[in-house]
Amino acid sequence: MQLSDTSKGRIGATLCLMTANLFAATGVHAQVTSDSTNNPSAPDAAQVQNAYDQPASEPGTTTIDSAILFYKENGGRVQAIEPMISFVQNDEDGDVYSARLTYDSLTGATPNGAAPWKTTQTFVKPAYVTGEGHTTTRASGGVTVTNPVTGATEVQYTAAPYALPLDTGFHDRRWAVDLGYAHQLSSRTKINFGVNGSHEQDYQSYSGRFGIAQDFNQKTTTVSLGVNYEHDISKPFYGTPTPLTWMSGAMKDGSRSKNVLSLVAGVTQVVTRNWLVQLNYSYGHVSGYQTDPYKLISVVNPVTGAPYSYMYESRPESRTRHAVYLGSKMALGSFVTSISGRYYHDSWGIDSITGELSEHIPVGERAYLEPGVRYYHQSAADFFAYYLPWNIVKPQYASADSRLDSFNAITLSLSGGYKLTDQVEFYGMVQSYRQSKAGTKGTLPGQDSSLKLFAGPNAVSVLTGFKFKF
Amino acid sequence: MKKTILVCGLLGVASSLSACATVQPWERDVTARESMQLNKNPNMTAANEHIYFSKEASAGGRSYDGGGCGCN
Repeated sequence: MQLSDTSKGRIGATLCLMTANLFAATGVHAQVTSDSTNNPSAPDAAQVQNAYDQPASEPGTTTIDSAILFYKENGGRVQAIEPMISFVQNDEDGDVYSARLTYDSLTGATPNGAAPWKTTQTFVKPAYVTGEGHTTTRASGGVTVTNPVTGATEVQYTAAPYALPLDTGFHDRRWAVDLGYAHQLSSRTKINFGVNGSHEQDYQSYSGRFGIAQDFNQKTTTVSLGVNYEHDISKPFYGTPTPLTWMSGAMKDGSRSKNVLSLVAGVTQVVTRNWLVQLNYSYGHVSGYQTDPYKLISVVNPVTGAPYSYMYESRPESRTRHAVYLGSKMALGSFVTSISGRYYHDSWGIDSITGELSEHIPVGERAYLEPGVRYYHQSAADFFAYYLPWNIVKPQYASADSRLDSFNAITLSLSGGYKLTDQVEFYGMVQSYRQSKAGTKGTLPGQDSSLKLFAGPNAVSVLTGFKFKF
Repeated sequence: MKKTILVCGLLGVASSLSACATVQPWERDVTARESMQLNKNPNMTAANEHIYFSKEASAGGRSYDGGGCGCN
């Protein structure tokens, strides 16, 4: 794998930031120790001054935690409403039972993968037939037509000149259930099991996991190992198109599946009385159908860039992922600084770095605020392309999905919580997420950058929640 | 360069960890706080992970890299 100079710079900057945090943490700890030693009247780091200084684990308690997330992308794109509720019971003997139920309702428009053009573009897809036998367009801006050649009912929708082509028929609902159980095997060993099921109209996912955690060094070091196996079934509304065949309104062929094996190994270390770090390595191998059945790629004139037609995208059926994560939390009084970094690499040629920084700020005796920032950068997949010129040999894989493009993303967030009593907590979060193209902006042949090919979104999300412990 | 950075990072962390046995069991009060938990608010974490998984190519690191949805 080759890293560009820009990528090297970003990785270096991230590591510098993290190194600076480690030095800063050591320095601040020394300062706190010094103050506590030399000045008996100085506040002790461990003194409980805020409700969030209370111990997290409370054996013999049950917690019900519910929240709702509102997510909205710019330009009339995806909107989601996601209520969730969880139940966690901590037994006196250290066992933990947990359950989580999540519901997603998604509507709006999503980029169909085609490149924008200077004149109106028309796309076609099969008309979706519901279980009741009713035909619906599932595209608020689409028009149902009958193909004069095949006689099939199709849906046509258009993209305005210079506009990013969007499939406006995006609408889905998702239910997800997660059940977990953790058992204290001995005073130093804990094991956990869990299962997860997720159901969408066009996608199902089932997974099971097992993990073990072992304490060492008087419980200052915890080594953990976990494995998760997931089986997914993709059942597109219109069937599964054959990769790199021409767009058509004909119903396609059946469903596809994939399997995901994931391993996570980690070490959590209490470094000082008020500083802990976590280092994780994760490995994932995905095998099976990973193409997005709804995504197209433009086939264009190699000289003028004008769209000739559109093909269904194609992705490899194997993908191996590696990620290293390093997180740190350090308290100073009731303030807590959280910083983390992640390096990711996969066999599709994507490298990414992620850096996060947030500060837990106590407010009065019962509340906190936490401003945060997250930076993310990824390189493009080897087979990513904004378009295919019609005069080249058809590649084995090609996708114009913006999630496989090279881009930067910045998240700015503010979260907070308020404990009405020791049993009742209200909390919330607002955040802004903005993607921008990284590196050279792509252009169509013979065209300038007035046709914007990068399709990454900007989004705003708001979450509000309520936690009750008894 | 990537490997060098990775090795240096891991060595740095390892050397930090080797000097950690000084924290005694009765000194865990701060790290046991709710504000010091690595996953302080599971619902916020789940919401963020879901958003990032559906909009970015990367996964894993902090936890398993499966997504459990057709959003990516």
